[in-house]
Amino acid sequence: MSKILVVDDSSTVRDEVAGFLKKHGLAVDTAVDGKDGLAKIKANPGVRLVISDVNMPNMDGLTMVEKVRGELGNKTVNVIMLTTESSPAMKDRGKAAGVKGWIVKPFKGDAVLETFKKLAS
Amino acid sequence: MGSIVLAVMTGGLVAGVLMWLIRQRKVNAMARTLGDADRRIADLSADLGRQAARVETGMHEVAALETTVAQMRDAAADHLEVIEQLRTELQSATAAKEQWASRAGQIAEEAARLRGLALTFERWHEQMISLMEQNHDMHAKNQELQSIVRHVVIVSLNASIEAARAGTAGRGFAVVASEVRALAARSEELSKSYRNSLHLNDLTTTATFQDIQAGGKMITASLSSVEALASQFQHQLH
Amino acid sequence: MIRSNAQDSFERIFRKAARTRLTRQPEDTCHISTAAEAGTLNGEDALILTISSIAFRLLLVLRFDDSDATRAYFTGEGTGRSFEEARLEIGNLCCGALNQELLQVFPDLGMSTPYVVSARCLPYLHVLKPGYVAAYAVTINDTVRVDATVCVCAHAPLDFVADVSDGVESGGELELF
Repeated sequence: MSKILVVDDSSTVRDEVAGFLKKHGLAVDTAVDGKDGLAKIKANPGVRLVISDVNMPNMDGLTMVEKVRGELGNKTVNVIMLTTESSPAMKDRGKAAGVKGWIVKPFKGDAVLETFKKLAS
Repeated sequence: MGSIVLAVMTGGLVAGVLMWLIRQRKVNAMARTLGDADRRIADLSADLGRQAARVETGMHEVAALETTVAQMRDAAADHLEVIEQLRTELQSATAAKEQWASRAGQIAEEAARLRGLALTFERWHEQMISLMEQNHDMHAKNQELQSIVRHVVIVSLNASIEAARAGTAGRGFAVVASEVRALAARSEELSKSYRNSLHLNDLTTTATFQDIQAGGKMITASLSSVEALASQFQHQLH
Repeated sequence: MIRSNAQDSFERIFRKAARTRLTRQPEDTCHISTAAEAGTLNGEDALILTISSIAFRLLLVLRFDDSDATRAYFTGEGTGRSFEEARLEIGNLCCGALNQELLQVFPDLGMSTPYVVSARCLPYLHVLKPGYVAAYAVTINDTVRVDATVCVCAHAPLDFVADVSDGVESGGELELF
């Protein structure tokens, strides 16, 4: 199982982000919503970096992170939110949940590739 | 012999004069000594007078100092009173701060508890999804109804054709067929109207669903802000 | 109830969001006209997204022309993406841009996920009792057509001025916490 997990309900985004990372030699899994993401993180405790959307059906990204830190007790996996949301209150909620960083879509792979590599190692 | 007596008498006289001179000198010296002593006594008396005056001044100063000390003692007593007051106020301020810290703690707890509202939103979310599914269901059923109605129209047309072929024998049947066609037409109208209602329903349900979804996120995010502020406040008061 | 300042602001915000997020490349041309009646588009579907604030909610309704040109433009070159999925993400990005601009004025905002309904629902928008409705016809590179409707329902008088900068914010920067 891979060290990077991309969580987004849009296959367009999953393809774009995972595709970009794979092209640069990184191993990437994907999940379709918060519930799926949570299950995949539970099954793969070796995951180092999660890149997740906020607005998803079944369970949104921030709730997923809160559950990863709480129910799963995983305080070490790095989480970066990739979302159209940018409200300060939401970023605060992310910070409180232990999110490492925030990217407002659209995704610009080149700018963040090095940081992602570092966070996934 | 007379000269010896004279000499002795002169000698004696001289001695006597000498002795008187010597005695005078002694008396003078004693007088001088007495004079000195007198002067000394006068000086000492003057000194004594001055010392007495100094002592008196000193006593006045002591009295003044005692008054000052008494005043300072009073002032110190006042200050002590003020210090006591301040100590009391500090105690009540500390007690108040502890109360506030405890209150801030309660606010933080309450805000954290209200984040559990996310569960309520999940519940509404599920209920809305169920409603949307029912809408979907109604669409499907209506479409089925429409296709049945169209089928009935076709069947009734065929029936009219058969009735016409049967001539007069088929006239009663033709009437029934045409009534069935009329009914089918009304059903089709109703079904179309129902479809419009379903579209209206879809719009309002979707809009409500999205308002709940978006509104829920807004509320949860705001509550997180409040919780963060309350926690910061609580830490400040520690 | 929705003052003209607010209406102008909504229009400016929409225009910027459409220009920056409906287009895929910065060099694409984008023409936005106010359509009194949203034009002659093919396609059964409409995409709806909602932004909710305390005082109002805003609905963004997008209709993507079901034509070869439009499909090809949004699905990209042979990546096997479906047009339906691509639409959802474009709608998400466009609404996200509206969200970001509105956040400068209204600190508490939430955004919904996109939802597809039949285009036949759109004539019923008035049932929501909106205080402001504006319809636009967007044309990209002369061949790609998207119709948009911005619909705002307010429960209290709405009056604000949005400072919409003309600079294109590209987004995509990583903010580390």
